[in-house]
Amino acid sequence: MGDIRAALAVARKDIRSFSRYRIAVAGTVFTPLYQFVIPAFLFGAAFAVNGRQPGLSATLGTEDLPGFIFLGGLVGGLIAIAFWGIAFSLRSEMDMGTLEPSWLTPTRHETFIIGRALGGMFWFVLSQTVLFAFGIWFLGLRLRPEMLIALPAVGLAILAMVGIAYLLAAVVLIIREANFFVDTMQFVVGTMSGTAFPVTLLPGVLQPIAFALPTTYAIDILRSQALGSRPLFDTGLEYLVLVILTGLTYPLGRWAFARAELTMRRRGMLAQY
Amino acid sequence: MSLLAADIRAFFAAARKELRQQRRYPTLFLGLLFWPVLLPASWVLMGHAYSGNDPQALAAFAERAGSTNVAGFVFVGYAMYMWLSSLLWGSGTALRQEQVRGSLEAVFVTPASRLVPLFGPGVATLIPMAATFVVMGVALWVLFGVVPPLGAVLQAAVVVILGVPALYAIGTLFAATVLRFGEVAPIVQLIRGMFVLACGITFPVAMLPGWAQVWAWLMPPTYIVEDLRRVLLQGAGLAEVAPHVAIVLTIAMLTALLAIAVFRFLETSARRSGMLSRF
Amino acid sequence: MTVAAVETKDLVKVFERGRRTIWQRIRREPDKRDRFRAVDGIDLVVEPGEIFGLLGPNGAGKTTTMKMLATLLIPTSGTIRVLGIDPLTRPREVRARLGAMLSGERSLYWKLTGRENLEYFAALYHVPPGETKARIANVLAAVKLADRADDYVERYSTGMRQRLALARALLPNPPLVVLDEPTVGLDPQASRDLRDRVRELKAQGRTVLLTTHYMEEADQLCDRVAIIDHGRIVALDTPAALKRTIRAEEVVHLEIALDGDERPVIDRLARSATVARSERSNGTLAVTAHCASARDFVPAAFDAARSTGATIRHVEVVPVTLEDVFLAVTGRALRE
Ligand SMILES: Nc1ncnc2c1ncn2[C@@H]1O[C@H](COP(=O)(O)OP(=O)(O)OP(=O)(O)O)[C@@H](O)[C@H]1O
Ligand SMILES: [Mg+2]
Repeated sequence: MGDIRAALAVARKDIRSFSRYRIAVAGTVFTPLYQFVIPAFLFGAAFAVNGRQPGLSATLGTEDLPGFIFLGGLVGGLIAIAFWGIAFSLRSEMDMGTLEPSWLTPTRHETFIIGRALGGMFWFVLSQTVLFAFGIWFLGLRLRPEMLIALPAVGLAILAMVGIAYLLAAVVLIIREANFFVDTMQFVVGTMSGTAFPVTLLPGVLQPIAFALPTTYAIDILRSQALGSRPLFDTGLEYLVLVILTGLTYPLGRWAFARAELTMRRRGMLAQY
Repeated sequence: MSLLAADIRAFFAAARKELRQQRRYPTLFLGLLFWPVLLPASWVLMGHAYSGNDPQALAAFAERAGSTNVAGFVFVGYAMYMWLSSLLWGSGTALRQEQVRGSLEAVFVTPASRLVPLFGPGVATLIPMAATFVVMGVALWVLFGVVPPLGAVLQAAVVVILGVPALYAIGTLFAATVLRFGEVAPIVQLIRGMFVLACGITFPVAMLPGWAQVWAWLMPPTYIVEDLRRVLLQGAGLAEVAPHVAIVLTIAMLTALLAIAVFRFLETSARRSGMLSRF
Repeated sequence: MTVAAVETKDLVKVFERGRRTIWQRIRREPDKRDRFRAVDGIDLVVEPGEIFGLLGPNGAGKTTTMKMLATLLIPTSGTIRVLGIDPLTRPREVRARLGAMLSGERSLYWKLTGRENLEYFAALYHVPPGETKARIANVLAAVKLADRADDYVERYSTGMRQRLALARALLPNPPLVVLDEPTVGLDPQASRDLRDRVRELKAQGRTVLLTTHYMEEADQLCDRVAIIDHGRIVALDTPAALKRTIRAEEVVHLEIALDGDERPVIDRLARSATVARSERSNGTLAVTAHCASARDFVPAAFDAARSTGATIRHVEVVPVTLEDVFLAVTGRALRE
């Protein structure tokens, strides 16, 4: 019970202190917009023939370019939460010196991950709402009732990302160049999950990695259910794999996090600056 | 010794100092290998997803972008992105750091020209940039088998060199304005976002709405990217892009003058209020 | 029988300097890192209700010891009991009963107000929601910050931030409070103020364990002091008893000008006092001597100087402090 309240307090504190940096808040919407959504849309639209998308249709079996981009961006946003909102923000607390007093309290250390995940979800919902509104307004994005069927996949993807966040937190607390790691790995994981293009286009050697990521299945289910694109495998099978992979990331992530904590307590890395 | 010679030496000393500081951050160099390859590669694959190898779709692209070579198109665009990005970061943060640490004041009490700290750091980005271009060229060849003819590459090099003053001026103008605002990172994001959207980095400028195209053609990077693509992918000669080069050089001049004016203005107002370390 | 607030036996912490690269690990190269004993066999018993001080120079191992008590570091060997609980096996129970202030002002959220900081940590300390408000008002009053509680921490002075960090440590209403260098970086006024707060903690019946490298602080504040150096306890007792161990009433600092060898002067001085320390820089010799009576020693010192061709430039007579105790047991000055 105490830990649930602590998790909520972590989330509230995260939301509160982040919202005091106004430029950063604007960045959560603006950055995906200029780095991904708009250029991708205009790039894709350059292949259009008389307002139709024969190319995308050949690749995917759907012509819904904005839908393809925004659903990829949705999972990409989740991945960003795990990397920046959870793992990296824990690390920056360590660098700032506020992690030490937090770890002196009787709150479980993994509660700080859960609490951050809650705070991250807040920003996720907010920024995706704004992004989707922008898409509907300017880029011809259409919401369809079928999208609701895909919601369980989003829920599972969220759970999977928290599991992965444990793992990331473990790495990021220990290594020296956390910023670089987070920056590059976020890109790699996002791309390999198929946020920007279908994973079948990846070079063959990289495909096994793509198929080991739960997010790959989440994106694929989302797109096939909501846009009617050709799925990689049978949707039922994809759900099964997604559930199994999500289930695996938790014990693995928690184990890694506990190991990292132990290492830090042995070496005394909690407050090195 | 003449004052000018001394200033030139001070200028190179400033550039060398920047390079030295860069060397202390190993991940900066890893990033130099990582981003210029993987970012454009992923956009090329996006292009493949959108084209689906459909002849109609490719023809539509060629009509808007000038060529069916999606990989070449994207890599040239990203070369410009990398260049802009490192210029904005490099000169913006360098000058700002000098200001915060108070070393800007230290430079101002030396007899060196006050424009040295303004223009010096930009030079330091030239060497890593040249390396990045080479890395990107190799990646384009290895990953996508695109090799422009040697003559075209040499002509492209000329276009790049002629474009240096323009980009340089942009970086400097940016650095000078940053002094006024304090936080660098969000402004870099903002300005870079503007360039990405306007200059045809990952999509043809023709895709922009009409009013945005007017803005796009006011920015030197738009011309440089366009010229590079024409030279490298469409077999155009230098003579054909010469008018653009003239426009770019003119805009560069104006930008540089504006940068100096902004810097001068900030500097004198700071000297009056005695707030050099804060502006 | 009451349990000791803190009890350690043969506590050791070994740090490895540098790191092993993955490459070295894969090739199973022998581990060539330096091993460094930051804490080297510390036995401590802190009784309930006392203010106990760890006094030592930089790098003595004070912070390392504190962090092991506070569950942040795992000892290499030895046992610890905090309020009778083993922090290794039941860390969360220890943390629930311990108020710790380890790295003061940096450890606060500068973009939040003082009260928001405390609200946040109250939740982390599992303070029941119904009590949170009263508890926060309490600790704010205890550190005299109630009137500034709604300002952003970035607008606080260093002393105020330090007091806010102390308030945070008091949130769980802990029977044991550990403070690592609570007055470092504070001006004399603010330090005195903070020391008063610490005395109040004792008056409320709490046990306080603190570290410091200011001997006046240890002397005035602590019921008992352990002097540690190079990770070991070199002396442990009440400040008064420690000072008695030097068997001197007064300490005399001499500054002597001389050209030749200093040994004859020191030998002559040693006949009428204990020379605790002597340091030569060019033509000046600085001597610290412990003696029973400065009235007798000072004239003798002038004789000694004259007979060896040296001149005494400066004489200063001071009462015995813990600094001299440290000097006597380690042969080094505490601050150098
Ligand atoms: N995580 C670590 N890894 C390696 N060495 C460490 C680590 N933490 C502390 N040390 C070393 O252990 C020794 C004792 O450090 P500690 O911080 O306990 O000293 P201290 O008595 O608190 O000194 P100070 O008065 O400077 O705070 C120092 O030499 C320090 O360099
Ligand atoms: Mg210390």
